Formats: sequence, structure tokens, C-alpha cells
Amino acid sequence: MAASISGYTFSSVCYHSANSNSDHEGFLLGEVRQEETISISDTQISSAELLQVVEVHNHEPCAQLFSFYNYAGLVNEENLNKILKERRKNVIGWYRFRRNTQQQMSFREQIIHKQLTQLLGVPDLVFLLFSFISTANNSTHALEYVLFRPSRRYNQRVTLSIPNLGNTSQQEYKVSSVPNTSLNYAKVIKEHGAEFFDKDGVMKDIRTIFQVYSALQDKVQAVCGEVEQSERVKEKVQQEVNKLKQQIALRKQKNAEEERRILEAQNPEPLPTPEENTEPPETSLLSLVAFNTPSTPERPGPSANPPAYADLLSLQDNSLLPSSSSPTSAALLPRPQAVGSPGHPSPNPMGLGLGLSVGSSPAPSPSTPYLGNGDGSSSDSLDRQAAGQEDEDEDEDEDSSEYENLVSEVAQLPPVTINVLAQGRPASLSPDGDASARGSQT
Amino acid sequence: MNNMSPEVALNRISPELRPLLCSVVRNGRVGLDSTNCLRITDLKTGCTSLTPGPCCDRFKLHIPYAGETLKWDIIFNAQDPELPPDFIFGEDAEFLPEPSELPHLVQWDAEDPECLLQLVKELIQQYHQYQCHRLRESSRLLFEYDSLLEDPDYGRSLEIYAGHKNSWTGEFSARFLLKLPVDFSNIPVYLLKDTALDPGEDVALLFVSFEDAEATQVFPKLYLSPSIEHALGGSSALHIPAFPSGGCLIDYVPQVCQLLTNKVQYVIQGYHKRREYIAAFLSHFGMGVVEYDAEGFTKLTLLLMWKDFCVLVHVDLPLYFPRDQPTLTFQSVYHFTSSGQLYSQVQKSYPYSPRWDGNEMAKRAKPQFSATRQAFCSGLVIK
Repeated sequence: MAASISGYTFSSVCYHSANSNSDHEGFLLGEVRQEETISISDTQISSAELLQVVEVHNHEPCAQLFSFYNYAGLVNEENLNKILKERRKNVIGWYRFRRNTQQQMSFREQIIHKQLTQLLGVPDLVFLLFSFISTANNSTHALEYVLFRPSRRYNQRVTLSIPNLGNTSQQEYKVSSVPNTSLNYAKVIKEHGAEFFDKDGVMKDIRTIFQVYSALQDKVQAVCGEVEQSERVKEKVQQEVNKLKQQIALRKQKNAEEERRILEAQNPEPLPTPEENTEPPETSLLSLVAFNTPSTPERPGPSANPPAYADLLSLQDNSLLPSSSSPTSAALLPRPQAVGSPGHPSPNPMGLGLGLSVGSSPAPSPSTPYLGNGDGSSSDSLDRQAAGQEDEDEDEDEDSSEYENLVSEVAQLPPVTINVLAQGRPASLSPDGDASARGSQT
Repeated sequence: MNNMSPEVALNRISPELRPLLCSVVRNGRVGLDSTNCLRITDLKTGCTSLTPGPCCDRFKLHIPYAGETLKWDIIFNAQDPELPPDFIFGEDAEFLPEPSELPHLVQWDAEDPECLLQLVKELIQQYHQYQCHRLRESSRLLFEYDSLLEDPDYGRSLEIYAGHKNSWTGEFSARFLLKLPVDFSNIPVYLLKDTALDPGEDVALLFVSFEDAEATQVFPKLYLSPSIEHALGGSSALHIPAFPSGGCLIDYVPQVCQLLTNKVQYVIQGYHKRREYIAAFLSHFGMGVVEYDAEGFTKLTLLLMWKDFCVLVHVDLPLYFPRDQPTLTFQSVYHFTSSGQLYSQVQKSYPYSPRWDGNEMAKRAKPQFSATRQAFCSGLVIK
């Protein structure tokens, strides 16, 4: 058996009791219900547990002692009805308050209880005993309460729980199943209810909030769709880029092989000329410059033939042609990105003209289609190359020795480079141009 | 708090309830053991702490019963002093007397100072019946009780306390307290004159404790009121026989009664015998009597003269005279010992028979005195 009493009923009983200058008694009104718990476990077939729950909703205090019984403890039914009136059927127990006494049913209480059980027709009538225990110097007063079930021989005491009292670890306010039986409350709610509740009895605010929630959900769904689409486009583009890169690499390789054959065919003694000496660095410069991208973990060696840059330039601005460029035009070549250069993690994010913020991650695996740096901007060097010129001043900020080399090499280049480039036809800015220029010379 | 004198307790009680408690505390004799009067402790109040005192209206009443002490809570209401009290019967949670058997509760009269005391007595009666009912758990002990009940001498003054020593697993045990029907009225008053010890009734109680339901462990004890104990020569003088194994109370109790009665008779007889003895000596030695104990007749002093030589003779009569022989002490009036005492000589063995009457003893004392006196004087002269 379990029992619960609402906080306001309990405090009301305590108030009546504490304010009386003698013992005090009254009746408890409420209801008793049966709760059946069926539990199923692996070890046994379902077992049902019946729990009788007593709920105290209200109380009816007696104005004075011996109001419904005589000196011998004999209950007078007439007086009982006068006290209870129409609430007699709601009686589930009675209570007594006595100061500084033991928590035990007294002689008269037991006699009265037996009679009440029979008269009211409640077999499990409960008895709530309150007592104030005060210390000798009245410094501490303890209110103690015990709920008895005297009809049973054993386990006579029942735990009485008061919802929302005592357990401070519980954060939320527990709503008990005790209904509010106050007439005034019902009247007020009925009168003002229409302002808060709609026809279904649901609070209007709830509905509004739910609508907001639904709208937000729809928007989120839409955005999800858009994101998905853009992701797919991006994926496709990335795939194309990768394909192109592969083609470039392949062509570069082929060209390199071809060049080597030509060279071998033309010059049986493979003595490098000063011009030619500069070429590899130049080619290496170009190759380095062009292909030092985060997506390629390996760059071609300095002796490798430069790949076909024309393919790339066809997508790009013609202002990068060497004829119109200054000696430092090589510096205008798309600058390699620090991020992703193999073996060189970027020391600081480069403040490029595009204002990109680049993460300092080392070269990502070539298989990742998404090359961004996470903030939606593109840190792909190819994209940057497509976007426009780089700021040449930032060249000097690089810590990379490779870039220093590039810069110094570029500085050394001017006369030769210009020569080579100027002689030839206005070729596309590619290492190929040099070869073809050379070819035209001889 | 527990050793509070009754007067202090009464002062704390609410004035309207004081008369009721006065009779309980001052005159309260409930049960067989009237040497222990009712005591009240743990006075508390049912009023708010702001109520000015004295306003105590609930307390614990200690009631001696069958060798135990019952501690019952009595609850009044100081604001409604005309209402009857409520009771909590301590550990006897199952004791529920029938209100119709308590006339002083049904017709409670707060104006009658004796009302509470009478109500307590009625409750004790009910409690006794409740305990007897509990004896039904053991047929052996129930037999003991029934057999005693049949005997009018013991059945009316019987207190039973039955139950389990330990509520769960203990042996069923019972205690019987019987008032022995021994007449102490003829005990000479001088023996009982020490009223400081016991101002009350002279009573002998036999307490028998059955430690198990089969009556294999039985421990009897005799309790006497202090004056009776003193009159009979102290606790060491009286030993009751052990409870015979397999015996029963209805045989044992009369034995103890007889023993006690014999002892009392002996003491009474002894007193009379001593009186007779002294009277005889007075008549025989008339002029030679210096002094004698006229109350208890335990002492007699004579001054004997032989040829102008005076000797004092002190006669000490023991409690169990004539069974025990009187002691004669001869004392010189002239000589001192080195310690400054008068020289004396004690004689305990001389021809004597307890069957002689006082006259005979006085007659035979004369030649005895002469013979002893001669020897005494000679002894003195030598010194």
C-alpha cells in the first residue's frame, strides 16, 4: 500500500493542528485506487503486482474533542454525519494530532478506529498520527507523522509521500494526480479559460509555438535540400577537376618523355648549355609553380618536362601571357599555395588577395573531392589561379626556402627568359613555349 | 527527571489535574507489591510552547506488576480538564481492555480525586486477565495457574506476567507473583518499630519465574517487607527451598508458606519465652536486678553480692531463645583491665536445657551463679 497527500492538504492539517492548544482530530477525504503493474522478464512469465494507492485530497477538522464519540469511545453515528455531511463517502481515513506523545495508537484511538471502519464501510481505513515533539528548552520542535493501517496485523505503518516536498535533487515540479476539487478554481478556469484554451482544450500558446516549430522545421528541411544540391554540384566539379589533373599529369609525363627523346636524338652528348641550364630551373620553376597544389602529393622533379599549361590557361585570363609581362611576370604566375605543399605545412595563413583563410593541414589525400578549408571558401590553388593575380609582395613573406629559390631564380632569369620568350611567337605561357622557341632557333 | 520527587512532579502538572494525580502519587497502591508506590515521570504538555506553565498534562505512570514495571502513558488535555484521559500501554500494544469493564472511565468524574486511581486499578485488573489469557500458549503454565486459582488462599492474590522474552524468537516465559497468606500480626511490635523502613503493610511475596514453557527452569524468590525481614533476623536467616524439578506450584507454595509461618511462630514464641524468663528472674532475684529490657526482653543485669564482694551479671537472651542458650557475662565493679574496661568474664556453656521453663531456669541459675562467682572472684584476687 502506498499513500500520498497533496502539499496543501498536509500544510492545512499542520496549520490547524499547530494552532490548537490541545489535541486535535479530523477526517481525511480522498480516494483509494488500485494500481496493477505487470512486469515481464526473461526469467519468468509476466507477474502482476497490485498496489493499493491511497490519495488524500482534503481534510475535515473536528471543532472539538469527543465531538462524535463518548467517554467510553463509543461512536455516535448521528454526530458523525453532522460533521461529515455529504462528504461521508469520500472518507478514507482520519487523523489525530497530539503533542509530545509516542507514535503509537492509543487505547481510545484503536477503539474508535474499529468502529469507524465498520460504520463508514471502509475496510482499509487509515489513521494519520501527527505529533509535535519539542525539546525540553523548546528550542527544537519536530513535526512527526505516521500513517497507520490498523486493519492489518503486520506492516501497519504506511509510507506517506508528499509530492514536491523533500527531494531537492529533482528539478522539475511534479504534478500529482490529485485533482483540484476546489469549486472556486473550477469556476475561474471556466470563465477565463477561453483566453488561453482553444476549443479542444489545448492551450493556445502551445499551438502557436507548435506552428513556429513546424515552420522552422520546414525551413530546415528546405535548406537541407539546397545544401545537398550544392554538395552534389561541388562533387561533380571536383570530379572534373581531378580528371583534368590526371590528364595534365599524364600529358606532362608524355611530353617529358618526348623531349628526352628529342634531346637524345639531337645532342648525342648530353651537355647542358647555360640556356638549357636555366631551363630546367625555369621549367622547374614553372612546374613547381603550376603544380604545387594541395591536391597533388608529389610534384614532378626539376628535370621533368613541364606539362601542358595551355589547357589550364584556356580557362584563365590572357593577361598572364609572358609577352606583356614584366621580368617579374613569372612572379605573377599563380602562386603556389602553402597549404598542402608536401612537406611544408603552412606556417601562417596567407593573406592573399582573395582574403582566404587557410588551415594549416598538411597535404590531404588526393581522394577527397572536397578541397575546401571548411569555411565555404575555396582554397584550391587552381581556383585561386582562376580568380586572378596574386599579390606579388607576399612572395617575400614566405618562409619556405623553395619560394626563396623561386624568387631568386626568377630574379636571375630576366635576360634569358625575356630573350627566349621574345624570340618565339607569342606562345602560351607554358614550358612548352621554351621548347618550341628553342626548336625554332635550331 | 526520573528521580523526580512526587512533589516536584505535582508542581509541574496543570492545576486542574493536580488533585487527580495527588491521590495517585501519594496514596497510590496498586497490586500486590505495595512497597513500590506508583511513580510518574516524563511530564510533557499538550499545549503550545507559548502557554505559560505549569501546564503539563501527559506523563508516564510506572506501575509495579508481577515483578515487572509497567510504563503506561496517560494523556490528558489541560485545556479540557473535565475530559477523561487516554492511555498508551507501552510495549503491550495488543492489550485492549473493554471500555464497558471500566466503570470509572465510562462515568468519568473529574471532580473526584480518586477517579484516576480507581481507573488505573480497573485497568490493572483487565491487564491481569489479559496476561492470564496469554498463558494459554503454554498448557503447562496454564495448569499451574488454574491449580493456584482453585485454592482460595492463593487464587485471589495472584499476578501473572506472561509473554515472550524476545518478541520473535524468545522462549515463552511467565512470572507469577503470589502474596503468601502468612499472619504477621502477632509479631512483637518492638521488632517492627523501625517504621522508617516501611510505613506500609507487612507482606511476604513469592516471586516465581518460569524461564521456559515446560517449567524446567524455575527460579523462586521470596520478598518480604523490610520490617518483617528485620524481625525475622535479616535476609540471611531465611532460605527457601529450591523448586523441585517436576514439581508444581500448588505443592511448592504451601511449603514456603509453612516455612515462613514456622519462622514467624518461632520468633513470636521466642519473644514470649524471653519474657517468661525475665519475669522468673525478676521474681527470684528481685532486689538484685539492676535493669532489664522491658520491651524486647533481650537483656537482664543483676548485681550479686557475696561477702561484701559485688559482681555484676549480664544475661543476654538471643533471638532464637530458648533454642539458643543465653550468654552470661560476669563483670567486676572494682577492677579495670589494661584497656580501661571493667574486668569481665563471659560464660556461654553451662548446664542448660531449652525445655526448662523460665522458673526452672531461674532456680538453676542460682547455684550456677555461685559457682561461677567464686571462680570469678578468685580470678580477680589473683589479678
